Amino acid sequence: MNTSLRLGVIGAVFFALLALLTLRLWTMQVTEVQAYEERAERNQVRVVPTPAPRGDIFDRNGVKLAGTRSALAAIIDLALIDGSDRELLARNLAAFLDVPASGIIESMENDAQGGLLTVARDLDDDQVTFLVEHREQFPGVSIIPQPVRTYPGGETAAHIIGYIGRPNEEDLERDDVGPSDVVGKAGVERSYDAMLRGSEGIIQYQVDAKRKVLSLAGEQAPAAGQSLVLTIDAKLQQQLQDSLRDGLILARRLEMEERAVERASQSIGSRMAEALAAARAEAAERDAEVDESTTSTAPIGVDDDDVESPEPEATVDAVEVLASLYPGLPIDDQGVCVPVERVEVLRGETSAISGIEPRFVRVESITEVDGELEAVVSIGLERFTVRVNTSFGGTLQVLDITDDRVILHHRDRWCPVRSVGVITDPRDGSVLAMSSYPTYDPSVFVDGLSSEQWASLSTASAFQNFAVQGLYAPASTYKTVPYILALEENYYPLDRGVGDVEIGGGTTDTNADGSPAEPDVPLPLTSDTDPYNCSSEFKFTLNDGTVQTKRDWKWPSGHGPLDLHGALQASCDLYFWDLALRLWNERGDDSGIDKENLVQAYSRAFGFGELTGIDLPFERAGLVPDRAWFRAEQQAETGRVRPEGGWVGGDLMDLAVGQGAMLSTPLQLANGFAAMVNGGTLWQPRVVQQVIDSSGGVIDEFPRKSLGTIDISRRTVELLKVDLQQVVNNAERGTARAAFADFGPNVELIGGKTGTGEVIKADKSERFRQVDNAFFVGIAPINNPRYVVSIVVERGGSGGRVAAPVARQVLQYLINGPDAVTELSPGSDAD
Amino acid sequence: MAYATTDRVPVFIDRDSPLRPDLVLVVTYLLISAIGLLMVYSATAPGLEARGLDPTRDLKEQAIFVVIGFVVFGIVSSIDLTEIRGFVGPVYVISIGLLVLVMTPLGDSAGIAQRWIDLGIVQFQPSEVAKIAVVLMLASILSMATTPLSWQTVARALVIVGVPAALIFLQPDLGTMLVFAFVMLVMLFAGGSTLRQLGFIALATIIGTVGLFQLNLIKDYQVTRLTAFIDPEGASLDAVYNQVQSEIAIGSGGLLGKGLFEGSQTNLQFVPVQASDFIFTAVGEQFGFVGSLIVLGLFGLLLFRLLLTALNARSRFSFLVVTGIAAMFAFHVFVNIGMTVRVMPVTGLPLPFMSSGGTFFVMMSAALGLAHSAWIRRNTTLAERPPG
Repeated sequence: MNTSLRLGVIGAVFFALLALLTLRLWTMQVTEVQAYEERAERNQVRVVPTPAPRGDIFDRNGVKLAGTRSALAAIIDLALIDGSDRELLARNLAAFLDVPASGIIESMENDAQGGLLTVARDLDDDQVTFLVEHREQFPGVSIIPQPVRTYPGGETAAHIIGYIGRPNEEDLERDDVGPSDVVGKAGVERSYDAMLRGSEGIIQYQVDAKRKVLSLAGEQAPAAGQSLVLTIDAKLQQQLQDSLRDGLILARRLEMEERAVERASQSIGSRMAEALAAARAEAAERDAEVDESTTSTAPIGVDDDDVESPEPEATVDAVEVLASLYPGLPIDDQGVCVPVERVEVLRGETSAISGIEPRFVRVESITEVDGELEAVVSIGLERFTVRVNTSFGGTLQVLDITDDRVILHHRDRWCPVRSVGVITDPRDGSVLAMSSYPTYDPSVFVDGLSSEQWASLSTASAFQNFAVQGLYAPASTYKTVPYILALEENYYPLDRGVGDVEIGGGTTDTNADGSPAEPDVPLPLTSDTDPYNCSSEFKFTLNDGTVQTKRDWKWPSGHGPLDLHGALQASCDLYFWDLALRLWNERGDDSGIDKENLVQAYSRAFGFGELTGIDLPFERAGLVPDRAWFRAEQQAETGRVRPEGGWVGGDLMDLAVGQGAMLSTPLQLANGFAAMVNGGTLWQPRVVQQVIDSSGGVIDEFPRKSLGTIDISRRTVELLKVDLQQVVNNAERGTARAAFADFGPNVELIGGKTGTGEVIKADKSERFRQVDNAFFVGIAPINNPRYVVSIVVERGGSGGRVAAPVARQVLQYLINGPDAVTELSPGSDAD
Repeated sequence: MAYATTDRVPVFIDRDSPLRPDLVLVVTYLLISAIGLLMVYSATAPGLEARGLDPTRDLKEQAIFVVIGFVVFGIVSSIDLTEIRGFVGPVYVISIGLLVLVMTPLGDSAGIAQRWIDLGIVQFQPSEVAKIAVVLMLASILSMATTPLSWQTVARALVIVGVPAALIFLQPDLGTMLVFAFVMLVMLFAGGSTLRQLGFIALATIIGTVGLFQLNLIKDYQVTRLTAFIDPEGASLDAVYNQVQSEIAIGSGGLLGKGLFEGSQTNLQFVPVQASDFIFTAVGEQFGFVGSLIVLGLFGLLLFRLLLTALNARSRFSFLVVTGIAAMFAFHVFVNIGMTVRVMPVTGLPLPFMSSGGTFFVMMSAALGLAHSAWIRRNTTLAERPPG
């Protein structure tokens, strides 16, 4: 055979194959077409996707915190109903579900995804029976199982678990998310969404030519999502939440007492005023250390628990009297203040709102009515009459203006806002509990949230996890950083003498002849046990020649001579200011930022100013300010720094006591302390330890992960632990001693550090009091730390007063057991 | 003559050049690709829309590969086959290497078969490369052999095809393995084998297949597919489902079809993997017998032009390459469409230039480009001389 012939044979074979296909197609599509058409008609199947149940979430002991329940939902498949049937169906459904038919028709036109529309979720048995029995009246309606998220723990660990909802545009960019899906919006529901979701199944319905559902044709079950095992201990979490809630209520009650004292002392002649003034005087006499005010504001705070009667009765009376005297004052049914209040003012009506700061509203006229100011104010073109109780300050913010009312937010300037707590294990970075109060129940998002619920929860910022999102100046808790710096670098403040020597720093005197005197140049201290004069006021000259004065929190009495250890225990500001000032004077200059930034370097090593990388969304990094940052902010005109002048020694001094621009989350604080007491390992905190399948088999495990190790000596760590223990146990100067007075046994195992962060510095005017955030970081057992507890009470006053008692309850639970937790009472006012 | 025949010449430029392109082939290729894109869209859009995704997502993805395929076709067309000859050995070895690589953890497993290498952005299917490498390698050794072929040459051909076929069988990809067998038979026949030799190979193939069954080397799902084809009633619903739905879709299309986007089977996502293996059902249901015949006609025209190219080939090597490529196309078309109308079992072979799938489209374009190159540099003494 020659080549052409062979090619011819091959060609013939090819075309024979094509001819065979043509023949087959002819048979199917022309001669037997009717049979196939019938089969196609008969064989129409609708495919309905069924959502997968999300994976469960368990605490470390297997307590279920999030689960899934199966419910039956009614869906309409629009492809199965003719246009004429739609109206009938809508009317029948409207009658069945007791909703307007127009709404259903609108949904049919707008909300259907791929021709499918869910008309009722979570049907009960009777409803299902009715729908099945009256199938003719509900063409195109089918009943499918739909998983419903449940949160058996309610508010327990809400911020860690998070919540779920419909995807927004950003969620929809993910490949595996469609508009009818449900995705995690916060907490681990969000950060582990891909694992929790599972994959959806399908149900196939056989439908006939008239599109009536005949039978179930097939079903592919959805694959459940993977489950998570948290590092959280649900019982401990509950204790933390209870303590945070009670602590906040306590702080608010204390705030109301302060107001009562203030108000009563203004209403001369009142019996209340006399009683309270007497109590105040008595308290001041007994404990000189109570006073923590840093400025000329009148002393406040009669809240030392050492003080016996007549406090309790006075407290109750004060609140009652206040409430009756000032009906507009925001007091809830527990007799405490409300930090943010939603106020609705009807048009043309008089509404009493206390504490308006006329910043957002224009004041038209002010007249005095019954000792209160009645103001006519205008917001835009609208005019309102409101009672203005200016003595308590506060701000008003217009949220919305409707046809008949104006909705405002009234923010109270002093009322404690929230309490935040984190408990971690310093041995591996596990988060044992984490919460911020006010909190919420994640199931409100499943059941649907009313607009009032939403308004009240979002007004209180209840959905945010302030443990990782809240930024606070950590105040004196941060003093452990310069403390470690001092020991590690063998770097101490100047020797200011220990007697009655006035601390002059670089101030200059003049000799008798008027010539400048030889400046007194003190030498630095050489050891951590050298005493330092912890006086109450620090006057210093910066190297640009300006003289400034800073007051210790314990002004005007001062602490007396203390070494480094005493300075940490008593939280002496001067010691650390002076340390920072020496650093500034010796190393601070524009050219050598690295040398100057010693404090910052230590801070960052302990994780401040950096994301911890915890497996929760929305974490914020905080800030460790330095010269470079200051300059950048100034150039960018962000308004966060002074517009004029540079980074100065005072900024470094502020940083050394955790104030100024320094910002940290409560989690960073706990994590930094953990690294300090565990010998220098900074762990990456985590809330999920395992991913498991539905039968409990382990799919993935997250072992502890180190972010880095800090080279600090064993001696430093041991000394720090001793001093932290003394903060709680030293009767003479421990700032948390009073708060832990009724701890019970094992109090010697507890260490910690208080902190009081200035939020609003008191100004010269008598009208304003200082507002402080309260901090406490607790460590236990101090000899072999297993728990680090970080507590923040926003606007809670001093750390010793409210934050330390909250931590005390949690530590009692951890060390002495659940039954050993004693009632919450305020500690002494100490930084 | 202005051009030496071995010169690399720009394609599609000089209409008067004796080296001008085969416009019939090019237009046929473009038409099939365009119909393919339309079918991919009609088959995927309702499903994507139902999931709330961009209905054109799959279309866009395929369109990118179609454009790449066109470019590859153009480039390969401009390469002289004689220049390729020297690289045939290395290309063959590399393609074997890639097939081995698929077996390693680098290979990505989709479903139960391990056929892809994940290159990050795109997944790459080495068996598509191997198809062309084997055609080239076979053509290379057969072109050097004397006719009629010696048994020794036949044995060498068996080894050359056997190695990649065995590797592909391990993936497992029965369909592609059968492509190799068919291409080898056609090329051996074209290359001058005796009928006895062919008969022997056919016999060996049958005995081998039976042996594989006996040794349980064929995966369960392959057995199910094959037996479902023979006895649809007795097989499990899953196995027969694809083919039955596909048959109903095509049969109910009738003479003129239900119209674009009107196919109930297609729009209700009845036929699984419709955009890839069962793309022909979209033609059959929406455009009926007439549409199906047009598509078959286009493939017939393509095959005719390829055989014409083989006939006019300048060298024995070119002749064998083009014949091999023609065989490859013919087998794909027959087995794929045959599968959708239940005259062949389900083997997972895609339809050239129509099924969605990136590597497949690009490699088929490259194969067509090789054949087209042979046409551009054909032996003009046999064909009609160009005017002037």
